Amino acid sequence: MNKLRRIILWAALALIISSIFLSIYGAFLGAARAKGFFNSIPLSIYWLALACLLVLAIAAFQRLLHVPGLLLTHLGCVLILAGSIWGSDRGHSLQKRLVGLDKIPQGQMIIFEGASEKHVKLEANEQTKELPFSIKLKDFRLEHYEPGYLLIETRGQQRWQLPVEIGAEYSLGPDFGTITVTKRFKNFKITFDGTQRIPIDSPKAGSNPALEVQITDPNGAVTTKYVFERFGGHVHPEDKLLLSYHRIISDFISEIQIIKDGKVLAEESLEVNHPVYFGGYHFYQHAYDDKAGEYTILMVTSDTGLKMVYLGYLMLCVGVFWQFWLRPILRKSSTKE
Amino acid sequence: MEIKYTTQGLLIYVTVGAYLLAFILTAARRTKPGHFLYLLGFATAVLSFGYRWYHVRHVPMQNLFEVFLCLGMIYPVSVFCRHFLRVGGYSADMLIGAIVLIPAGFVFNADPQKLPPALQSWLFVPHVAVYIVSYIFMAKAAFHASLQLVRKAPDTTGDLLGPEQATYQMICVGFPLLTLGLILGSCWGKLAWGDYWGWDPKELWSLASWLVYIGYFHFRYMFGRKYPRINSTWAIAGLTVIIITLLWVNLSKLFTGLHTYAV
Ligand code: HEM
Repeated sequence: MNKLRRIILWAALALIISSIFLSIYGAFLGAARAKGFFNSIPLSIYWLALACLLVLAIAAFQRLLHVPGLLLTHLGCVLILAGSIWGSDRGHSLQKRLVGLDKIPQGQMIIFEGASEKHVKLEANEQTKELPFSIKLKDFRLEHYEPGYLLIETRGQQRWQLPVEIGAEYSLGPDFGTITVTKRFKNFKITFDGTQRIPIDSPKAGSNPALEVQITDPNGAVTTKYVFERFGGHVHPEDKLLLSYHRIISDFISEIQIIKDGKVLAEESLEVNHPVYFGGYHFYQHAYDDKAGEYTILMVTSDTGLKMVYLGYLMLCVGVFWQFWLRPILRKSSTKE
Repeated sequence: MEIKYTTQGLLIYVTVGAYLLAFILTAARRTKPGHFLYLLGFATAVLSFGYRWYHVRHVPMQNLFEVFLCLGMIYPVSVFCRHFLRVGGYSADMLIGAIVLIPAGFVFNADPQKLPPALQSWLFVPHVAVYIVSYIFMAKAAFHASLQLVRKAPDTTGDLLGPEQATYQMICVGFPLLTLGLILGSCWGKLAWGDYWGWDPKELWSLASWLVYIGYFHFRYMFGRKYPRINSTWAIAGLTVIIITLLWVNLSKLFTGLHTYAV
């Protein structure tokens, strides 16, 4: 038995050290290749061996069973490994073979405003699969930090970043004069009055954020310019200043309905950091149509194994704090008495 | 390298100056004025952090500049270690405080940034804060480990632990925090990106640093204090990997040929 224990301890040390080197190697691969590497068949066997060794150690070492902090720590690691193996792509195909459960491990869906969609493009290959319900995108919105800013650059190295404040005049120094933002457009459009072009803020659907600015050069000559958020605009050789309009996104939100057999089962708003959970899947705001804001891209992940991983996290966490923080305090207070 | 001619910069430089002077005075055995300066440095560090908070209007832990600003408030850890764990090293702490503030003062960009959507999570502050505290403990552990390697006792007064045991003590306190930081990061990733583990280089480096400390515990369990130099080497390796984790995105630019992070 003593020999077995010694073997377990050495094997544990060897596996821990090799895990360190594998992690570092993976860090050099970059996320996408690392994911493939750590999910390959040899590495899957490696993870399984690690989990088995942990179970073996718990069985062979009395102290691991009887010291609650250590038991929770090691058992927590077993659960994390087991849960993540069960929830991996390979785990999903195993489930299909063993228990006939055919869930989508992970993929993406593109949904246009007003449309319903149930197809998911799989992450692992380019195939698509169907969800047992469909998702309708009622509305997609982008929200920005207001009021945004006007970036001004000279052909030299000077630059200014000015908050958009209608009517406020900013001095750009003796060489460039002053600049004032005179109007802000949510949806800039041009209308014609005879031959004269008139810019308006169109109330119709669409979005074309723009600013009207007035530049007064050091001689007092005034020019009016339009600066667009989405388009760079023309820069003439005689222009001394390059202007651009920026707004920083604070949130993107998809208003969705979950529909099955023509019935609306749920209605939710989906934001970054606020995923929606339904029918064994998590839905995330992943990306969006950055040109016209007409569609949203959701990421779909199955929740298989997730509860086990989270339980493992909890046990691991409670275990290490118990072992290293609580136990010494309890011991100290019991020796004092 | 750039000097920050701002109130923020000034506060950082005053803190660094106070810490360095405190270190010199303590090394010259003028412990009382040394301690006073250390406390003064801490007060400026807190002021500096508070100023940044007021300036950017969210808890300033978003970028490396802010994280290093936060690391500079090391004083309470020194006091805690001395009074509750019998671990000394005040003078080293002064030096650690100054060293972490130098990149904040001279290297990192301090332009305030708006929070992108992915950072707007309640998990954000605890995740970073827990990591910051654990890094301070691990830095102290590595300091005591290096003392052990060069066979010098820390500034001894009375009942302080020797360097090998001090290292162990520091890692015992820091490791649960490191574990919690990793787990909170993972939960946050799940909420924000849909994966509790994304195999991203930063995640893998942080996993590696956590594993180094597990290696330390198992090695020390197997051999006790029979090979104190190897125990100490584990602790120093741990901090080395932590530093790489923290600076990876910056470091990786140095050898772009090797990584595919940005692709
Ligand atoms: C490769 C699989 C592992 C095996 C076989 C293993 C086995 C063991 C054994 C046999 C002990 C000694 C228990 C005793 O005091 O009698 C131990 C201690 C410990 N293990 Fe593990 N372990 C493994 C992985 C891990 C992991 C992943 C963690 C992560 C948290 C961990 C954390 C610890 C800690 C903190 C101790 C206490 C060390 C001390 O008392 O100083 N172990 N382990």
